[in-house]
Amino acid sequence: MSKRNFAAVVFFLVIAVFFFFSALMMHPFGVPEKADMDDEIIKGVQIETGTNNGVTSVVFDYRGFDTLGEATILFTAVAGVIMVFRRLKQ
Amino acid sequence: MSEMSKIVRTISSISFPLIIIYGLYIISHGHLTPGGGFQGGAVVASGCAMILVAYGSIWTIGKMKEKNLSLLESIGAICFILLAIFGLGFGAVFFNNFLVGSDFLFGTIPSAGSTIANINTGGVIPLMNFAVGIKVIAGLFAIVLVMAHASSTREGKK
Amino acid sequence: MILEAIHIILPILIVIASIYAVLLKDLIAAAIAVSAMSLMLSLEFYILQAPDVAIAEAGIGACLTTAILIIAIKATKRMEDET
Repeated sequence: MSKRNFAAVVFFLVIAVFFFFSALMMHPFGVPEKADMDDEIIKGVQIETGTNNGVTSVVFDYRGFDTLGEATILFTAVAGVIMVFRRLKQ
Repeated sequence: MSEMSKIVRTISSISFPLIIIYGLYIISHGHLTPGGGFQGGAVVASGCAMILVAYGSIWTIGKMKEKNLSLLESIGAICFILLAIFGLGFGAVFFNNFLVGSDFLFGTIPSAGSTIANINTGGVIPLMNFAVGIKVIAGLFAIVLVMAHASSTREGKK
Repeated sequence: MILEAIHIILPILIVIASIYAVLLKDLIAAAIAVSAMSLMLSLEFYILQAPDVAIAEAGIGACLTTAILIIAIKATKRMEDET
């Protein structure tokens, strides 16, 4: 067994042990962890933002900065791809 | 990428308007039903990519220049940031929902609990959905179009 | 009962499709395997009551990623080299 294969096997075993213990410590299915922020958002989402869809109101209103970052990432990716392939086209 | 056979072109021409209408429905009802700007934009861009695969990149780039697509994407990004800055001006903070509760567009507040969906709600969120939708449609389709056109011109040179 | 059976069967199919995507030497077949994996993942998201993520996954993972991968494969070589 070469040194690279040995390193791969050791890495795989470490990840497998981590996954095994995290599977042992998981919540039961369908019972999410208790969080205060959920109750606040579910209680106030229709009065504060006026939407019936809570997920969109969280994405665009409560956590607007995340969506701004996501839009910036998409813009940068498109700009990079167009820059590379316009050079390659000529 | 050259164009495909007549059967593929006919079937994609028939199913293209249905996909576009479904994607625009997801975008415009983003504050009532599951979905939003990003998801609906991905659906519309998938339909445009189907047309690109069926008709070939040379026909498609004759219909839609990539310069117009990047212009459209910039317009979407500017509208999104401008709406956020309007929140800074009319309300107190960045990303403030300044339209909710007003008598202007999208100002109605639904009563609490499960109600019948009213499209005239949501404040600034539907406008942000439209901005992000335009941005995602133009961006994702521009990536596929530019890659297909570059690979097809390289193929022709060989 | 049926829902639990689907919850058991779908992840097994996802793992099988992922293994095929790694093992196949024909790169277009591997791209189709990735697309099938993504479609089943979107079905799993829908069953887990996350329709937002399901729509995004079906649009981007199963359609646009496959289109980009196949365009890139057409511009390069189709078969993976034996190394």
